[in-house]
Amino acid sequence: MMPYLAYFGQFLILFGSVFLFLGALGIFRMPDFYNRLQAGTKASTLGVMSLILGVGFVEPEWLVKSIILVVFIGIASPLSSHALGRSAYKNNIKPFMKTKMDAYEEVSQILPEEEEKV
Amino acid sequence: MKRFLVIFLMLALGFYLIQALHFVPFGANRMGAPADKKTVAAFYLNETVPQTAVANVVTAIVVNYRGFDTLGEVTVLFLATTGLASILYKRRDEEETERVSKPSSTILQTGAKVLFPLVVILGVYVFVHGHLTPGGGFQGGAIIATGFLLMLIAYQKYHLSHSMLTWVESLAGILFVSIGLWGLITGGTFLENSWFPKGTLNSLISGGAIPIIYIAVGFKVAAELTGVLDILLSTKDDKSASNIQQ
Repeated sequence: MMPYLAYFGQFLILFGSVFLFLGALGIFRMPDFYNRLQAGTKASTLGVMSLILGVGFVEPEWLVKSIILVVFIGIASPLSSHALGRSAYKNNIKPFMKTKMDAYEEVSQILPEEEEKV
Repeated sequence: MKRFLVIFLMLALGFYLIQALHFVPFGANRMGAPADKKTVAAFYLNETVPQTAVANVVTAIVVNYRGFDTLGEVTVLFLATTGLASILYKRRDEEETERVSKPSSTILQTGAKVLFPLVVILGVYVFVHGHLTPGGGFQGGAIIATGFLLMLIAYQKYHLSHSMLTWVESLAGILFVSIGLWGLITGGTFLENSWFPKGTLNSLISGGAIPIIYIAVGFKVAAELTGVLDILLSTKDDKSASNIQQ
């Protein structure tokens, strides 16, 4: 039983490394800020999550810790890139010139102004 | 042309690095093996565990053997915070007139609420386990300060009471110095550790006064860095305000 779990963990580590590489390639190749942001976030969130989970499967003592880390990264990484993208949009950073549609502009005219709830 | 210049610079840098480092055989142990009793590294590696019962040798060096230096570092951080505050601090009721930036999105506000306790727990874990795992008071305090930074970014109305920060910081500093003075009274040297029961190696309660000092350092660093962030975010820079409004 145990070696198969370790093999599965090593497969997850390889999978995560491939996605981390793709994320880095996306940051390098994509044309503008928003595309780079989504490449860096989606690919590297999946990459880091599966890499840490894979380490947890290879070393079963660390499994609980690695699951906690995966949940934390799953919350924190999309949140931070959301904040980055939103502030870039609000500060009028232009998208790539071939971008055809701007869904946020259409939505933000319908939505009410966001209020602060403390 | 620029590319050739870069390549030339890299080659020159590599040449001088090789010049400096090619005497050292790759992977050689320059600090001396633990078996070689004459070197400093061997002393710390051999003597730390019997003398202090701390699993993390780096922590034992930072807090016990070089404890006075750590006190100096904490003092440097305190002085930096004080200087920054005396330059930048304004009364809050004076500058509550207008807001510079827009409120953050609902996603960020909700996520900050979820993440803030986790970040603080991680910071506390790092400095409580400073004598067992990598990390310690400074790192844990910095992690806690990032948690407060998240709250300060997400909520513009979120403000910390400066008197509370000052109290935490002062009490932690007093705890550190009084442990040192108690060591001076009982053991003869400042920050002497032997008056405290050592505990068993590799358990949470071990290492005598070292975990207590690191907890104090953690609270002090967290309070100082949070104070710095609060001051920096609550000061209003006139130039940047006019830039955003344009």
